[in-house]
Amino acid sequence: MTTPTSAGPPADADATGSALLLPGPDAAASGTTVPLGARGSGQFADIRRRFVRNRLAMVGLAIVTVLIVLAIIGPYVTPYNAFEQNLANTLQPPSADHWFGTDVLGRDLFSGIIYGCRLAILVGLLTVAFSLLIGLSLGAVAGFKGGAWDAVIARFIDIFLAFPPLVGAIVIVRAVGGGVTPVIVALVALGWMTTARLTRGQVLALREAEYVEAARSIGADNRRIVMRHVLPNAIAPVLVYAFTNIGVVIVAMASLSYLGIGVPPDVPEWGRLISQATPFLRVEGKSHLWLAPALAIAITTLGFAFVADGMRDSLDPKLRGGN
Amino acid sequence: MARFIARRLVQAVLVILAATFLIFLATFALGDPFASSGEKAVPPDIAEANREKFGLDKPLPVQYLLYVGNMLRGDFGIDFDQHRPVSQLLEAAVPNTVRLAIVAIIIDVLIGVIAGVIAAVKRYSFWDVLVTVIATLAIGIPVFVIGVVLVANVSGWGPFPSVPRSFTVQVPWYQEVLLPAFTLAIIDAAFIARLMRGSMLEVLRADYIRTARAKGLSERRVIGKHAMRNSMIPVVTYVGVSLGVLFGGAIITETIFQYNGVGYLLSRAIVNSNAPIIIAVVVFSVVAYVLISMIVDILYAFLDPRIRLG
Repeated sequence: MTTPTSAGPPADADATGSALLLPGPDAAASGTTVPLGARGSGQFADIRRRFVRNRLAMVGLAIVTVLIVLAIIGPYVTPYNAFEQNLANTLQPPSADHWFGTDVLGRDLFSGIIYGCRLAILVGLLTVAFSLLIGLSLGAVAGFKGGAWDAVIARFIDIFLAFPPLVGAIVIVRAVGGGVTPVIVALVALGWMTTARLTRGQVLALREAEYVEAARSIGADNRRIVMRHVLPNAIAPVLVYAFTNIGVVIVAMASLSYLGIGVPPDVPEWGRLISQATPFLRVEGKSHLWLAPALAIAITTLGFAFVADGMRDSLDPKLRGGN
Repeated sequence: MARFIARRLVQAVLVILAATFLIFLATFALGDPFASSGEKAVPPDIAEANREKFGLDKPLPVQYLLYVGNMLRGDFGIDFDQHRPVSQLLEAAVPNTVRLAIVAIIIDVLIGVIAGVIAAVKRYSFWDVLVTVIATLAIGIPVFVIGVVLVANVSGWGPFPSVPRSFTVQVPWYQEVLLPAFTLAIIDAAFIARLMRGSMLEVLRADYIRTARAKGLSERRVIGKHAMRNSMIPVVTYVGVSLGVLFGGAIITETIFQYNGVGYLLSRAIVNSNAPIIIAVVVFSVVAYVLISMIVDILYAFLDPRIRLG
């Protein structure tokens, strides 16, 4: 039963990944043909098999797939407008009309959660995509060029890493202004450093590889060497990190909105919904107010964490602690 | 060693200067707090007097230098709202945050190390699976979800003070600190358990462990002394980073539990756009974070000579 579901979704996940990245997994496969020719595509089959066999990873994949589908079709299936307030019908418990009840403004909480899902997925994917772009570029330049480039980029990484993440995001969002875009800007500004470091390390190690020398000897320029030979081989751990980061970004946005920063107050964002439920935390019969968004966030981050763990374990079974 | 420390110190100072300048720029871009808006009309002469009083009429670089100079003397200005010296607010909040950080770290190292060691030693047993599953769940669930669940179900019960706080009841600090510390500790403990399990499994395969067993040491001694000591390095690094973040204030957790540390101070300042407090707390967080990572690095180099030579 698992095979048909599993064959589709991983391909989807790869497609979203490769759309954001220059070389993508196909290039990675062709890039590995020189040193690992004997294993070639078999290596990817192995990775996929290990992933499919990992039950937790498959659960995560199912969750992530559902979330992405909900994010896409959300507004067409929600029973109510997520923004529509009905002050005559506030704080209703869950019922047939309102599956998750209504919130303090009389909005349908189920529709709000679905809208929040759309927002979370959108911000998560965009932020991670932009962070990848910046991190990969700077990391590749630092690792490949070395010298002054490396030193300058390393200092920038140090400066940005000096901000405790949430504190840094607060400063940036407040400087850029309210709304969803400033949240993305802030999370990207604080999200690229680890990608850059990882890429730098990988590129540094691969720079001296024989196939890079071979490519240079047949006259390939730096650009081609980095794009076609170095990055595709360096990218696997970077992609795993990026995937881990989607959950982190979603939590970061929710944390910011919980504090009242970024996403406007009338948007049914998950963190915002929880902060609006705070006065009712200890009120009998109102637990749906915080339970629904809290569960939504927990399930989402767990889903992404399971998939990321599965990716890491199947890419490198040694990391699991060996057999 | 001296050269390593000196290099690390210079680096820390440069990073702090750059970061404080970024914070300063970002806050300056917030706009003029004495400008007239739709809600309030500010007479121009009063606005001018206030700008002069708070030093906002000077050019940006001068403001930054003045600010750094004042900070070095422990003067963080007065807040926009009630004109209290920000340094006093910080002085009141910092000890609470430090207490919270230390209690949280003690809880999470204890739980994390014990759970990790058991999981590694009894690999694939029921306990290993339990630790791994709980750790994965705990890492996946955001801290404020845990906090909110605890406030809704546990606060106000037994030794735990109720949230929202009543101003009439004074609660001793160790009762106050319990729930937020536990909330913070859950996720860190999960990370530590994972790190500990991984590095312990690695170490248990090492030759010196086989030697220790071969010469007839008790299993307790092999695990407790030889294996544990050598698998603590990643845990020490993690605790260092975590301590840095916690000393800078656990904004979300402190806010959820209305715990009077620097994090809660910051979140309240954000709500009413109180820039002097925001800048002071952010600078404090960054400095605490950078200094503690520096100290951890130096300690680390002390323990492991490969690092200071590399």
